Amino acid sequence: MEDAIVAILRSGTPLVYVTLAGVLAQRAGIWHLGLEGLMIIGACSAVLGVVQTGSLVVGLGIGIALCVLASALLWFVIEKLRANPIIAGLGLTGLGLGGTDLAVQAIYGSQASVNAPYGLPRLGPAFGAFGVLSVLVVLMPLVVFAVWVLVRRSRWGLQLTACGEHPFAARSVGVSPSRMRLYALCLGGVLCALGGAELSMGSLQIFAYGMTAGRGFMAFAAVIFGAANPLGATAAAFFFAIVQALGIRAQILFGDKVPHDLLLALPYIATVIGIWISGRLRGGAKAATSFGELRDY
Amino acid sequence: MTSGPNAIECRGVSVEYGDVKALIDVSVGFAPRQIHAVVGQNGAGKTTFARVAAGIVQPVRGTLAIGGREVPVGSVGAARAAGIELVHQSFALPPSFTVAEAMEFGAASGRGVFTRGELQRRWRRHLESLGVTVSPRERIRDLPVETQQAVEIARALVTDAKVLILDEPTAVLSPSGIDNLFARLRVMQANGVTILLILHKIREVLSVAETVTVLRGGRLIEGPIPTAETDAGHLASAIIGSGLESLSTIDREALVGADDEPEHEATTPAMAAERSVPVLELRGVSTRADTEGPALRDISLAVGRGEIVGVAGVEGNGQRTLVRAVADLADLARGAIVLNGDDVTRRPLVERRASGLRVIPFERNTEGLSLSSPLWENWSARTLLLGGLLNLINPARLRRDCDDSLKTWDVRFSSSSQLAGSLSGGNAQKVILAREIDGTATLIIAAQPTRGLDVGATAFVWRALREAKARGCGILLISSDLDELFDISDRVVVMLSGRISGEFRPPYHLGEVGAAMTGAGR
Repeated sequence: MEDAIVAILRSGTPLVYVTLAGVLAQRAGIWHLGLEGLMIIGACSAVLGVVQTGSLVVGLGIGIALCVLASALLWFVIEKLRANPIIAGLGLTGLGLGGTDLAVQAIYGSQASVNAPYGLPRLGPAFGAFGVLSVLVVLMPLVVFAVWVLVRRSRWGLQLTACGEHPFAARSVGVSPSRMRLYALCLGGVLCALGGAELSMGSLQIFAYGMTAGRGFMAFAAVIFGAANPLGATAAAFFFAIVQALGIRAQILFGDKVPHDLLLALPYIATVIGIWISGRLRGGAKAATSFGELRDY
Repeated sequence: MTSGPNAIECRGVSVEYGDVKALIDVSVGFAPRQIHAVVGQNGAGKTTFARVAAGIVQPVRGTLAIGGREVPVGSVGAARAAGIELVHQSFALPPSFTVAEAMEFGAASGRGVFTRGELQRRWRRHLESLGVTVSPRERIRDLPVETQQAVEIARALVTDAKVLILDEPTAVLSPSGIDNLFARLRVMQANGVTILLILHKIREVLSVAETVTVLRGGRLIEGPIPTAETDAGHLASAIIGSGLESLSTIDREALVGADDEPEHEATTPAMAAERSVPVLELRGVSTRADTEGPALRDISLAVGRGEIVGVAGVEGNGQRTLVRAVADLADLARGAIVLNGDDVTRRPLVERRASGLRVIPFERNTEGLSLSSPLWENWSARTLLLGGLLNLINPARLRRDCDDSLKTWDVRFSSSSQLAGSLSGGNAQKVILAREIDGTATLIIAAQPTRGLDVGATAFVWRALREAKARGCGILLISSDLDELFDISDRVVVMLSGRISGEFRPPYHLGEVGAAMTGAGR
């Protein structure tokens, strides 16, 4: 039982951080499909930073800086160059996947993965089976709560939601939707960097090409599933993590009877079903009102 | 007279949207603690003027002073800090917000973080102090439109507003709602607030405002002049820009609001007999609830040949559902829809159109036209939809036909391949008329056909409807403009909460119809 909880927390935590980033963007009116790219930039920078500088803080700092920079770039392309946010987000995902691969190739040659000498600080043996959990797992509930307060219980959050739902309403009380989107995306960049770092340094201490394996998109699905509410989206992220854990367990139990590929696909099938159910229940996600185009008249 | 600096003063304000000059060198000042009206046709620059004053629109030239102090233009923050608040024509509150959240998101004082209880307590007091009876827990999207406006005004007063600007506040209200609004404004005026009303009905101007200012084509024509020193006729010609003699009665009624009962041609027995087979009959129609509007409840309604039946009602009382039901876009729970004697309840829209149903939809730019498609494609949709799936399309011929048709309908366009989005509102509506009002039409549903159109285009639409009626078409006219309904309908039914709450024949009495619209009559 404890092992199962640990497994779910480990696979769920990176997803939660990235999901919260998606919630902020969704509230601001941007369908954020660049989460995957930001997550892998975060995962890669943390490992490479530690390997190159020997300092975990510097590694995390580089990851956060790069993710914020990439988010600001996404904002610039969407707001200033008037690009379609969905296409721009997918472009960012491509940039992240390709850029991290390029960085690894440039520094280490044709090596498939990079090992870090140590990972994030852990709770330690005093906590028994939970001792393997990293500080980011422990911080996760606090971050969820903080984002919830920010989005649902603060004036800033109301203004952010207005920017996504009715930009003109925001403008007519003197709030700039464009600037709010910059803030939301950059804050999301920080969260993606943390989610990526937890993925590569929380339990594995390794960076491998494409290691996010669609988790960014799963996080986006959790945003929609959770109706862009921080708590709902977190619950959705954990739902996906549980399905993933069940998938791994099922591989061990029934791996010889059921095709291996089918079990691997389980979390993704659950994602599709989850989105479908939430669509039937609510008629789509709140906040962002239009696909792609931002209308700010 | 009042003393002290003007509450709000514009000097040499010009606004351009691309090539379009929306305001040209407007200089005007409004005295404090009065109710001022700004009038003009559509496109005269009224809304732009209001938005410049509120800082939402950045003028290319000009200065703005509030209470005698210069304020940077194009900054909502600066304008609000100086005490200017604007209530928009189509409200600007996020629909998913609760009333309390809608108050809070524009507030400046107080802590930035709150619990739900704190928020509701704080704003319940604010709403009570303004006499707005609404629970702070209700969501904006669930409020009736009059409450929404009251909430919007309350939102504008969360800060210490000195100048309140309302953009066309009466457009969405029933007659009694308008009286309530004006009473509320007078209370605020007594509390020292300067009020600027953007209006388009001269009758309302004369009944509420102390001064009136006329804009035309983006220029200041007159004002502010005291309403006591002017009259409806003078204002009408100032708004139109020509002598009153050259105004048609229709135009004058559109502007002033019909004071006299319009004349209706007598119904001859022959016409009555022809009407005995209605072109449209709804028999006890109820629809299933959906997200798009209130469901219809047991609607029975007939439209005869050569008859215009007006549908009145405060917006959001099922008018849209009625149109959707006839156009096979709503889910019928009970009842039957009969077109020209044929029961079409279970038939798709294509077959209904084939038997003569035509719709001028509510939303010109989203339902009526595809703005990103060329004119000829928009125009041809009616024939192409009726044809079989594999019928070949002959674009050259369709273009030619479209050209001819649009010229007959006096659409100002350069080529039938230009995009529909490049037309002005009036011309876009004419394209829809050209498509929908053809020789084979037997029933025309006209939903808000003149909304947002200027006087000339409005008169054109009315003429087209009257001509269609003379040819024997039945017309179901849905409008929120009672003057329009009274002027051209043979009969007016009133919708309230998805039911028909009253039916009236000329001579119409504003009070009776108004009571049916709000349910006050029962």
